[in-house]
Amino acid sequence: MATDTSVVAPKAISMADYKGRVDPDWCPGCGDFGVLAAVQKALVELQIPKHEVATISGIGCSSNFPGFIETYGMHTLHGRALPVATGMKLANHAMTVLVTGGDGDGFGIGCGHFVHAMRRNVDLTYIVMDNQIYGLTTGQTSPTSRIGMKTKSMPYGNIESPLSPVALALAAGATFVARGFSGDQKHLTELLKRGIEHKGFSFIDVFSPCVTYNHDNTFQWFRPRVKKLEDNPDYDASDWNVAMEKSVIWGEEIPIGKFFERTDLPTLHGAEPVLSAGPLVHQNNRIPADVAKTFIEELM
Amino acid sequence: MRQLCKGNVALVKGALLAGCRGYYGYPITPASEIAEAAALYFPQVGGTFLQAESETAAINMVYGAAATGLRVMSASSGPGLSLMQEGISYLAGAELPCVIVDVMRGGPGLGNIAPEQSDYFAMVKGGGHGNYRNLVLAPASVQEMADLTILAFELADKYRNPAVVLADGFVGQMMEPLDLEYREVPQPEKPWAVKGTPETRGNLISSIFLEPDGLEDHERKMEAKYLRAQEAEPRYEMSYTEDAEVLLVGYGIVARIVHSAVEALRRQGVKAGLFRPITLWPYPSKALVKAAAHVEKVLVVELSNGQMVEDVRLALNGKVPVEFYGRGGGNVPSVKEIQEQVLGRVAAAV
Repeated sequence: MATDTSVVAPKAISMADYKGRVDPDWCPGCGDFGVLAAVQKALVELQIPKHEVATISGIGCSSNFPGFIETYGMHTLHGRALPVATGMKLANHAMTVLVTGGDGDGFGIGCGHFVHAMRRNVDLTYIVMDNQIYGLTTGQTSPTSRIGMKTKSMPYGNIESPLSPVALALAAGATFVARGFSGDQKHLTELLKRGIEHKGFSFIDVFSPCVTYNHDNTFQWFRPRVKKLEDNPDYDASDWNVAMEKSVIWGEEIPIGKFFERTDLPTLHGAEPVLSAGPLVHQNNRIPADVAKTFIEELM
Repeated sequence: MRQLCKGNVALVKGALLAGCRGYYGYPITPASEIAEAAALYFPQVGGTFLQAESETAAINMVYGAAATGLRVMSASSGPGLSLMQEGISYLAGAELPCVIVDVMRGGPGLGNIAPEQSDYFAMVKGGGHGNYRNLVLAPASVQEMADLTILAFELADKYRNPAVVLADGFVGQMMEPLDLEYREVPQPEKPWAVKGTPETRGNLISSIFLEPDGLEDHERKMEAKYLRAQEAEPRYEMSYTEDAEVLLVGYGIVARIVHSAVEALRRQGVKAGLFRPITLWPYPSKALVKAAAHVEKVLVVELSNGQMVEDVRLALNGKVPVEFYGRGGGNVPSVKEIQEQVLGRVAAAV
């Protein structure tokens, strides 16, 4: 009997597709495991084929992420993941590009790039595994470490104010700003899905406790404090001022969820006229003869 | 006072004895203990420690603080030093003294965190842009991590130029007895510094010379001081060189392994000797020429693919055959391995 193969539904994408070839070497109990699982789950639920996804990172414990997930990946320079991802997106904007890293990588050495990637509205999803410490270098203060926190590089206690990644993202013009918690998988997976679907720069700061070097901001510390913005039906994520107010709340209550989203701004690749014909990588790179002739004449 | 100490920590103690009171740094393995020790000890003597957001920021903080005449420093490892190169060029161009430490790890790229000596070109030959030199010292022990750091501050001030302590991951990470006595390390007057006083108000710290003649004059003035340093500052150590037929050359941790290999070879009847440069710039070329005057062969050993060997060849200028043996990736030659290398090469020559 003849079979019409064209109507056979493609095999559904499953968690097995996104399982990395290397097992994570994170410490047992590390918050990053939860982030990895949530990212894999989000990609599966969105049914994005793995060949359409690239995961780009810098340096740090969490920056080993691309090795642990079965997508295209790049493990780049410390703090430079966003510029690398920007270049990649401009070269092939058909790809879903995820950028993963930590607070030291993104808000310390890479903070300059962070601000500019948001200002440019590059269509990336930037997932920061924020543990408020430098883990890979074994426990120094990070830009999100709290005042008074004792670390190897601040043995008398941190005297510098931590920055608020959410407020910074809002100020820099990010078009999707959210915060998740590695201890709440379901909620984090939803945020990641919305971030990936968002057209433009989506920033998701994730509390991902370091169980080895940060004994202040643990799972137990976060759990009673995190409060979902989604629990308030009146919360309006299109109101930048309200988002800004929420972003600086920190203490007994720490808001998580989608703070802000706007969809009226063009993405970087959308604003680039030459890319309207399709991804650069797929475009014919030959210069038409008449154009080439004009170039040469102008140079004479 | 004698104490068991890690190389990276000894370096910070030396810096404090030298009067260094400003540290700006960023964590990186295998140099992080320097920042950690600085964070711990600097405040105890009235110094400041700041963890910068990047090495780029750190070296520019050094630039700003060095302009006030304060003894200041930063430390990192290969990738961090790559980021600092622009700043080091500016410091040299503006003739600002400072001490920069490179605890070398494996490279290129991310490489690994095991020790290599593969930043020789980057630190000794420049790395940053333009006509300048770094004064470069290479410690081979925990004691020297402290002693040569003190010397680095003195040379930096003497020549108004960045001085580099080029250590390898072994010397940085290992623990050995350290003998430190408190002593006054003199600091010269710095009439050029910008101190926020009426007297120093007219001082200008800059590396910009837009007029061709102005820049050429500046570069000639810098070259003149580099020539003075080449005359006065080369430092080295030699053992068993008087009657040596094979001369081994190595610096840092390698020199210590080679020293043991030379003694083992002597016991086997091979007349081997060791030449160990302590200053990598200025390179002790004249002393090396003398030490190699009567040898049949020179063997350079490095934890690299062959970097310092170029300076050995330049110094000896074809007078003696210069061969090379290198290990990389964090692998270190054993005493036996070096012995075998020498025996094989001597046999080949016969």
